[in-house]
Amino acid sequence: MYSKEELFLAISTVIDPEVGFNLVEMGLIYDAECDDEGNAHVTMTLSTKACPMHQMIQQWVKESVEKMANIKEVVVDVVWEPVWNITMAEDNVKKALGGA
Amino acid sequence: MFSISQDFAPPFKLISPFFILGSLFYLLASVYLFFFSADNLYILDTKVLSFVHLYLLGFVMMTIFGAMAQLVPVVLEVGHAAVELFYAIWPLLGIGTILMVVGFIGYPALLPYGGTVVLISLMIFVMEIFATMKNVKKLNLVMSSVLISNTFLFFGIIFGLVMALGYAGTIEVDIISLLRSHVYLVIGGYVIITLMGLSVVLLPMFGLSHGFSMKPLEVAIALMSTSVVLVVLSSFVEYAAIKYLAYSLAVASLLLYFYMVYTIFKTRARKDLDIYAISLIYSYFSMIISLVLGVAYLLVSYEPLLLASGWLIFFGFFGFAITGHVYKIVPFLVWFERFSPLVGKEKVPMLADMVPAKSSHAQFVFSGVGVAIITVAILAQNDTLIKAGASFLVVGALALVRNMFYMINYK
Repeated sequence: MYSKEELFLAISTVIDPEVGFNLVEMGLIYDAECDDEGNAHVTMTLSTKACPMHQMIQQWVKESVEKMANIKEVVVDVVWEPVWNITMAEDNVKKALGGA
Repeated sequence: MFSISQDFAPPFKLISPFFILGSLFYLLASVYLFFFSADNLYILDTKVLSFVHLYLLGFVMMTIFGAMAQLVPVVLEVGHAAVELFYAIWPLLGIGTILMVVGFIGYPALLPYGGTVVLISLMIFVMEIFATMKNVKKLNLVMSSVLISNTFLFFGIIFGLVMALGYAGTIEVDIISLLRSHVYLVIGGYVIITLMGLSVVLLPMFGLSHGFSMKPLEVAIALMSTSVVLVVLSSFVEYAAIKYLAYSLAVASLLLYFYMVYTIFKTRARKDLDIYAISLIYSYFSMIISLVLGVAYLLVSYEPLLLASGWLIFFGFFGFAITGHVYKIVPFLVWFERFSPLVGKEKVPMLADMVPAKSSHAQFVFSGVGVAIITVAILAQNDTLIKAGASFLVVGALALVRNMFYMINYK
């Protein structure tokens, strides 16, 4: 129903309030897919396991996809492999953080 | 469907008194410095003891306990066993601290009462942490550090109460030998091991650091723990080698910890030096200078060296490590409470927007200059410099209090 790019675009509205970038440009969203019935599945990670916003961010991602038309169910899986690092972020993020 | 859990962020009204009172005690401790002169700068002077308890209990412990209310579930990955107990901790700790401070100044009869109230408050804290830890299925290194540090705090409190009874004349004890154990259990065993454990979670989280080894921390905690146990042992066994071995292990532990922090700093993705980063840099360099002064004291036994070392550990290392983290933790808690429900509905501020940039930097500069001047003042035993340093610190402390209210009231 929706392509990976369309799902990523919806998720890019979710901003990490600590660093000020959206989750997609941070490289935290690993995959997203949606079947014809409107069941979406997002695979993501976080920059650290001890993130106190863990549940909130997961919820925001879910809500951002649920806002798309005809979406029935959204499952968000947080995985720790591969471990996130700054090389997974987009160039604008790396540049802004000073690591480029 | 899952709901947003409050497990990782207890209600702000429960935690905010810890931070507000902590900053006010920091201000009081800074003002207290005006009452020192070069004549009464020695370790067992009652003014020094009073000041140390004002600062350590009122600011360091109060703020750490508030931070732990939020960080323990994050670090232990389980919810608090009885988070409501924190409502009782801050009033008891505040009252007990004031009684002890006044008791040391000139009313020793108050010491057992103050000591008992503090004991009750710290015991509630320690027992709540232990009860929370019972739900942890498998301990990792950071969780172990929480367990170790709180065990040391438990014994540190017992030693402290026995000493308070001794000061008041209720019982007869050798206060000098107990003092060393009390100081080491609370400062080395609790505060330093807590900072070690939490900082390897928080520094990489805020700096986006990856790819560093945790091994140095493991060794650093083991060395510091052994050092604390040996110091306690040396209080009862008159054998100088045990004491010196303990001091050497503590120095080695802190150097290893510094190396660990350095590797985290080197591997961080966020290169900007915000108020958090510069506060932490000042904190860790204070720790290193303090170590140098401490080792020099062991070599030449000149007491101002020990006092300056202790001063830098307290106001330099602990002070800046804590204020730096306050600028991260308080905005998060306020943001969570006030703005997280608005995400997706209206524009919400970033966490960095909630920290007053100019005022936080003013706090850093005034406090930093004040700490440096007083270090020199202690070494030179110069009254004028003590007052000059205290002036800077009071301005810095006023800025901290102002910043605290700014962040808490951010709308």
